[in-house]
Amino acid sequence: MSEQVHNRLAMVRAERKVSRQSLAEAVGAHYQTIGYIERGQYNPSLDLALKIAKFFDLPVEALFSLEPFRPLTDEVYGRKQS
Amino acid sequence: MTTTRMTRYDRSMLRLMNDRRGWPLHATAARRRSVVAAHVVLTAAIVALVGHFCLSRAEPTWAAVVVAVLILPWMVATGVINSATRGLLELRERALDERQLAERSRVLARAHRLMTCLLAGAVVGLLAAGAAGGDALRVYSAPALAAVLVVHWLMPLWVAGLTAQDEPAEDEAVTL
Repeated sequence: MSEQVHNRLAMVRAERKVSRQSLAEAVGAHYQTIGYIERGQYNPSLDLALKIAKFFDLPVEALFSLEPFRPLTDEVYGRKQS
Repeated sequence: MTTTRMTRYDRSMLRLMNDRRGWPLHATAARRRSVVAAHVVLTAAIVALVGHFCLSRAEPTWAAVVVAVLILPWMVATGVINSATRGLLELRERALDERQLAERSRVLARAHRLMTCLLAGAVVGLLAAGAAGGDALRVYSAPALAAVLVVHWLMPLWVAGLTAQDEPAEDEAVTL
């Protein structure tokens, strides 16, 4: 029951200049919970993951994945995975 | 937080439990362990003194005075542990989010397991005292029961204080 869910929350949050506190208030969570999700110490429920994705206006798979995310530069510039 | 509306009391307690002024007191695991250890020692001292107060046939005025003095640091330590856990056990369910509710369940389950062991130890100890003869069982049953009751009340707080994690730093490096 401890499957690791990878996420890009910290990156997206930094890019959008959103504080943990304001994200937490928007999705009805504690600000520490956002921090624990970012550190991979807590896997959010589907409900919370969808709320976070909605807040950033992104599909949920852009933020959360069962597989590790490829580096963003690789995705943007199309370098193939080795 | 749940979708149930929070009352004014819930909101004020939530603010109080998340007040960052006490943060330096419980910022690291070592500090949290120290506060919990101090709380355990103070609780033991208060319970022992109250027990002495109740059992002693002499006029134990000094015990009452010492208890009154010890209560203040005990209350401060209780507040620090509650602050370290962000009110995990003090706030109502509707003021906690899904992670905190899961954490609270874990803490209560762990405290329950520890209490089962402690109760088993207390029963064995009292039975052994009874088997040894004399009136030890009659004399120590009530204080032991009272002590176990206090530990039962506070065990979740101690477990929560010891299992609380460090606060994630706001400016942690973003890992891509």
